Amino acid sequence: MKKNNYWKILITGLLKENPVFVLILGTCPTLAMSNSVTSAVGMGLAATAVLICSNAVVSLLRKFIPDSVRIPCYIVVIAGFVTLVEMFIHAYLPDLYESLGVFLALITVNCIILGRAEMFAGKNTVGKSVLDGIGMGLGFTIALLCMATVREVIGAGSFAGIPIPFMENYKIEFFVKAPGGLMVYGILIAVVNIITKGKAIKKKEFNCAGCPSAGVCNGGCKANEAKEGE
Amino acid sequence: MKYFKSVISLTVICAVIAVLLALTNSITAPIIEENASAAANEALLVVYPDGGDFTQLDISTYELPATVTEAYSATNGGYVIKLITSGYGANMVLMCGIDGSGTVTGATCLSSGETLGYEKTYGDSLKGKTAEDIDAVETVSGATMTTAGYKNAVKDALNATIILGGGSVDIRSEEEILNDNLSEALPSAEGKFVSWFMVEALENVDAVYEAENKTGYVLVSGEEFIAIDNTGAVLSTVADDVKATMEANAQLIINSSTEEIDISGVADMPSQIKKAYKTTTGNYIFDAEAAGYGINGDEYTRSNETIKIKISVTASGTIIACLTEYQNETPKVGDVCAKAEYYTQFNGKVETEFEDIETVTGATVTTGAYKTAVSKVFEAVKLLEGVA
Amino acid sequence: MDTFKSLVAILLTAVLVNNYVLRQFLGICPFLGVSKKLNQAVGMGVAVTFVMLLATAVTWPIQVFVLNNLGLEYMQTIVFILVIAALVQFVEIFLKKFIPSLHKSLGVYLPLITTNCAVLGVTINNIKDGFNFGESMVNSLGCGLGFMLAMVLFSGVRSRIDESDIPEHFKGLPATLIAASFVSLAFFGFEGVVDNLFA
Repeated sequence: MKKNNYWKILITGLLKENPVFVLILGTCPTLAMSNSVTSAVGMGLAATAVLICSNAVVSLLRKFIPDSVRIPCYIVVIAGFVTLVEMFIHAYLPDLYESLGVFLALITVNCIILGRAEMFAGKNTVGKSVLDGIGMGLGFTIALLCMATVREVIGAGSFAGIPIPFMENYKIEFFVKAPGGLMVYGILIAVVNIITKGKAIKKKEFNCAGCPSAGVCNGGCKANEAKEGE
Repeated sequence: MKYFKSVISLTVICAVIAVLLALTNSITAPIIEENASAAANEALLVVYPDGGDFTQLDISTYELPATVTEAYSATNGGYVIKLITSGYGANMVLMCGIDGSGTVTGATCLSSGETLGYEKTYGDSLKGKTAEDIDAVETVSGATMTTAGYKNAVKDALNATIILGGGSVDIRSEEEILNDNLSEALPSAEGKFVSWFMVEALENVDAVYEAENKTGYVLVSGEEFIAIDNTGAVLSTVADDVKATMEANAQLIINSSTEEIDISGVADMPSQIKKAYKTTTGNYIFDAEAAGYGINGDEYTRSNETIKIKISVTASGTIIACLTEYQNETPKVGDVCAKAEYYTQFNGKVETEFEDIETVTGATVTTGAYKTAVSKVFEAVKLLEGVA
Repeated sequence: MDTFKSLVAILLTAVLVNNYVLRQFLGICPFLGVSKKLNQAVGMGVAVTFVMLLATAVTWPIQVFVLNNLGLEYMQTIVFILVIAALVQFVEIFLKKFIPSLHKSLGVYLPLITTNCAVLGVTINNIKDGFNFGESMVNSLGCGLGFMLAMVLFSGVRSRIDESDIPEHFKGLPATLIAASFVSLAFFGFEGVVDNLFA
């Protein structure tokens, strides 16, 4: 029973509550970094690393952090891990560092991470929080990979920088540019919608309740959100 | 108390994170720096594959051509020079590798605002050249400005390596050398001279330059630069016999006079001829204008601004001297018409020899119009001789 | 005169060419979330512009005079996000106490801004691009106005979507995103405009 429970947490982030396609979190990096497979995977894994670490630390400190300053504390923890990851990537993967650019630092304000700290890690044990971090992080990475594959193959005729025969002669540059990102994202959400027969998205209409910053926001939607995080 | 706890916990978290970051930074910072310098070195190897490791030189201690921005010395005695030069559009940033024997090992354009893209490949044609044979490399017609600028920059780089190697090169252009010589002879002119016209009347004088502020003249005789003031007194110290000749010349210069001829009533006068003068010696001087290519400020768009030319012709129809008075042509291309080596080629020419004068490749518009304008003086002389 | 020209160029580039929302994907969440009605869009736009300017005015001196001098450049992210969070809190308290009417109209947007990546993005980009203080402020103003422009334009588009007949599975967010794609495509028309104006 217990094992099953842990497995469920892991798999939730990957599929049922995929942060990108179902929860609609972290849209900015999703759109900006999905124009090439390499930077998408880099972004996904960097965010996953930050997510796991911050979830672990937030969960560990959840009894120590007073409620009134929990958001600033979460932000400091997250920003700290982002900077750590940033330093390591800068040192050991300079090419990736260049291609991620300012979005590496902006993982700090990636709604997924603060959202998970607030909704899950602040209320659960370390083990569960780490699993949630892995699940959500990989869910984010997989979603980015999906989008990036579509965009890079059609838009640049290559996969992870390796040209694909035939496709490279018929590339449609629209897809690697900004409008292409929005369009592919929209279509993929619609596809997820079709597969899940509209169940997944329906409850996540874009309003205060659907807002990832709900934890920061003092709106009445907080209780609602917390329930869903369980 | 609750408030106190909040502050403490936030402070503690901040402190712990800060310490953690400082530790990580001390590990990663040296690696990042190493990567950066390796990347910089790699970039230099592009133009100098055998260079090995490079050390940046402090160029402020050398007097290098103004285009040079950075210099690196390679372990095997060569150099990589970075330069900024003006192209057709924005500035071009170039990098050029030169080995110890003064041969270009490679040149590349790092950034430019050029329109045609020749700057991307032109460097390859300069590879393997030395200071002697670089002049022979042709500019690309249609992209003269870009490629000429490129070539001049590489020449500057070659000069720079000689200077960095302890040698000395005259990095002044021909105009600058002439101007420096003139200024030395006549400091009161404050460095501004215009070429003077009726040289044919003078003895043993190759050229005369008048100070723009009218404080005197400089007479060029062979290697000598002899200054006279505006009363005709010889200022430079010269041998007595030379001095006598020059004093006589000075009097001629000061007392020479020209008389403007009214050409408005002359039928069939070519439109390029704007004014005509007759000198005391019976020759003619014409003010002619040619429609140039013209540029608008820094933008190098065509404005068709006129080029103003002064031409003196004998009554029998031989050009005595020719001078570009004003031009606003593209730097390093059309502005050849302002150079003495260009306009002096007309000196001594008669009408029948005119066909042989070629236009300058890459500056066809400018030099074509120029040649046509000059050729019209023969017609004008015939008309005026007939009228007079 | 040249400074003025370059400032205008920075402003127009930020508003039109490098529009934060439509070209650089910064601040997408509020763009999708709060652009349903025109007055909401304007309110959010004003609040973001204001916070961007305020955040730049504070973070630029911190970076240049404190972090750079102490060799603490790596603390940039943490310091900036904390400063922004604190500023937003402060502004909210200030408005609540002294200008309640403004707080009523803008107040609800303020907490959302802390995690708006456009605000952190603009402060970091100002440092990255090596802007001086004046240029940074103008760039921030431009980014804020660009954000507002995108929001306002898009709120108009959205009101039309609500009335149109959309395939079942595209209703809601997918249709919104595809509409945003076209608005973004329209902004490609501004490419090169600024370069040509100030060449």
